[in-house]
Amino acid sequence: MIDRRHIGYRTEPTVVTVDRWRVKLFCQAIGEADPIHWDTPTAQVAGHRDCPLPPTFLKAVEGEHASSAALLGSLGVPVRSVLHAEQAFDHLAPVCVGDAVTVHRQIVDIHDKKEGALTFIVVDTHYAVATLPVARSRQTILVRNPLEA
Amino acid sequence: MPLPAHSPPATLALDAGPVSAVDLALFAAASGDHNPLHLDAEVARSVGFDRPVVHGMLTMAHAGRLFTQHFGAGSVLRLQTRFTGSAGKGDTLHLQATLQEVCADHLRYSIQGSGRDGASLVTGEAHVRRPAQG
Repeated sequence: MIDRRHIGYRTEPTVVTVDRWRVKLFCQAIGEADPIHWDTPTAQVAGHRDCPLPPTFLKAVEGEHASSAALLGSLGVPVRSVLHAEQAFDHLAPVCVGDAVTVHRQIVDIHDKKEGALTFIVVDTHYAVATLPVARSRQTILVRNPLEA
Repeated sequence: MPLPAHSPPATLALDAGPVSAVDLALFAAASGDHNPLHLDAEVARSVGFDRPVVHGMLTMAHAGRLFTQHFGAGSVLRLQTRFTGSAGKGDTLHLQATLQEVCADHLRYSIQGSGRDGASLVTGEAHVRRPAQG
């Protein structure tokens, strides 16, 4: 049983600067060949202030702030018992290579299904650039609880 | 009201893979998810998988590409996926989107992803900024 008192737990905000090389590596890993994501002149010709991020890159930014593995560790949940159940990103304003993104995460819900065999942990992440909210994401983590004897 | 000059596509499709060990290692490095479930066959076997498991976030990244390849970088306003199954190393990921609704400022697509033998990997939806009418 994961203690419900963790609902509301919030990480201290930290600032993560979006690294061009990391974005390029990410693009390579996902088969994204458009240099708009790492070459500033290409991005500016297309009307962007700098290189826009692939839609899910903020997950890497989130991990630099506080990975889900670290978050689960602080709850005493073994990473081997979990699955990633759901993920959502809402992009409110463009985030570009070089931006300093302030990130914090918050556990917004913990609930059971299947008579306690499964626990779902819902974690929201908030991203801001110069105090302007630019994105939020929600991850739902599924914990497979050990059967009780 | 006249129809727009360029109607949005009713469907979009993208195939990615087969996902190699190098792809998984690259994604682990780029994303920061170093869970050995995705890299080490023995660890995968120890938790009931016959091969290293493709990161759900790699499948979701391809789902994002499904839209950016057509609508361009910065076009995705919302991307949501539910991971309904898992792909393994060597599988090809098949992603498809179907237009559900044309809203004032965005298009709403549903997303379906499948892997080996058509097994479901993800379902979800995306909101994509409507392209400027030329």
